[in-house]
Amino acid sequence: MILIKDLKNRLGLLAVLILLSTNTFAQTEGEQIFKQNCTACHTIGNGRLVGPDLEGITKKRDATWLSAWITNSSELIASGDADAIAIFKEYNNIPMTAYDFSDKEMKSLLEYLAIEVEEDVATAKVGTEATSKGMSSTTLLLIVAVVLLLLIFVLTSVKNSLKESLQQPTETVFETIENFFKAIWANSPAVVALVFVVFIILLKVAFDAMMGVGVTTNYMPEQPIAYSHKIHAGDNGIDCNYCHTGARNSKMAGIPSANVCMNCHTYISSGSTTGETEIAKIYDAIGFDVKTRTYIEGYEQKPIKWVRIHNLPDLSYFNHSQHVTVGKIECQECHGAIEEMDVVRQENDLTMGWCIECHKETEVKMEGNDYYTLMHEKMKEKYAGQKITVDKIGGLECGKCHY
Amino acid sequence: MNNVILKIGLLAGVIFLSACTGGDSSPGYEFMPNMYRSASLETYGENTITGMNALQPVEGTVARGHLSTFNYDETLEGYLSAGENAVNPIKNTPENMADGKALYGMFCEHCHGKTGAGDGTVMHALYSAVPHYNDNKLLRRCNLPMCDLKAGHIFHAITFGLNSMGPHASQINEEERWKITLYIQEELQHYGLE
Repeated sequence: MILIKDLKNRLGLLAVLILLSTNTFAQTEGEQIFKQNCTACHTIGNGRLVGPDLEGITKKRDATWLSAWITNSSELIASGDADAIAIFKEYNNIPMTAYDFSDKEMKSLLEYLAIEVEEDVATAKVGTEATSKGMSSTTLLLIVAVVLLLLIFVLTSVKNSLKESLQQPTETVFETIENFFKAIWANSPAVVALVFVVFIILLKVAFDAMMGVGVTTNYMPEQPIAYSHKIHAGDNGIDCNYCHTGARNSKMAGIPSANVCMNCHTYISSGSTTGETEIAKIYDAIGFDVKTRTYIEGYEQKPIKWVRIHNLPDLSYFNHSQHVTVGKIECQECHGAIEEMDVVRQENDLTMGWCIECHKETEVKMEGNDYYTLMHEKMKEKYAGQKITVDKIGGLECGKCHY
Repeated sequence: MNNVILKIGLLAGVIFLSACTGGDSSPGYEFMPNMYRSASLETYGENTITGMNALQPVEGTVARGHLSTFNYDETLEGYLSAGENAVNPIKNTPENMADGKALYGMFCEHCHGKTGAGDGTVMHALYSAVPHYNDNKLLRRCNLPMCDLKAGHIFHAITFGLNSMGPHASQINEEERWKITLYIQEELQHYGLE
């Protein structure tokens, strides 16, 4: 009996769930149609793109006119409808794709457009709320240090008051430290050991400092625009070569000029983490008016002064195309997991030892390199049974990189 | 007493120094900085005469080997006329197709998707309505469905952009654009269509 009751309850719950899900599905069908067909040219409340902003469109035009336009705008224009002709002219005579929606689809799309007007404002407000940042590790450390220092003084005063109650002589913190070092100083083996340890530490510090001259591992300067490789290359999966077009065919990988940013940011003017402030810096550099989505005429463009991170000294030659196109080395092998970095950090030390290590291990990619077929055949004969690594084709010769 | 202070100072100094592992926002020390910041002009540096080292080519000049054979305007008329007249100079060979596929992967796939179904990895809502290359129903501005677009239409769109797609001429040269066009026409326009 209990079992049956339980089953009934569960079935009831299931029914409610199904009802709820179909209900939300009905609401989102129009949204789905909009997202799959319209967003390439229209926004709701985010300004004009290729076509007009559709915010409040259902109030401006009636449903029959809208469905006639969506089904075949050219026919509507040809029929001499004044509104249709005006819109066609305003948007550079570009005809809108004719959509053959069923009556039901058209209805849910128009319903979605009507609902979206109010909702968009609500979601926009949620989006602008700034997320509070966590405390930085430095401030945390400082707080811990202050607390510990306070603890020393508190404990000393406790000790002193105890001693006073026992009528023993008291001493301050500084006297305690002094007595401690006096005791060590009086013990000559301890002094020798201490001096030795200090000497070794100093030597190590000095050695590391010398080895670190000109090596900028972990360098991650703040850039003029808080561009995140994680968002672009990681989350959105844009290929490195899309922006760094030089990497395939020239010495420099290339810093994309602002027009490459504008391929997408002509229309995307609000970022997922920084809002509009960072993307507005691109517009400021290139001279773009977000409101009208046009370039400002006669604008004096300003270069974006990116801070260089990976910098080889002039005494060594490095060519990206040689590594990327011929060697087929992944960008990440030298630059680390850039697609996970919000702020780019120099992953490897870029020292000569690092270069050579890789040249000794990396095998030469011979497939699809017809120009050198003859040489490659000879090498296979000469090094039969061995891996043909970069050092075997002269990858360790001084003059290859230093000339 | 003096000795003790000296000792404490020394210890504190060592601890202080060992904490200096080079701040992340600073590149650290340089020996002979001229080798890192040379007097000669670096690719993306600046100079006192012209400002930026990177300059635009002089107007009216053509880079050697880059004389364009594609002379159509960035207008709807240009688009339509390119579709009618432009011919893909790239031959359909396995090498060109492989190049086209690789280039498509670098420059197109994140929006248009691996099979051209518009299901790329870019998540922004704006790019959720990317047309399918194999769409044979909706008529586009050239009065043809996506699957029947001509080489000229595709090349014009890559070069000058179309709708929410930006112009890609600065990133991909003409030969590469034709290779991508070839790949799209051969592989993707009829993907899964009979």
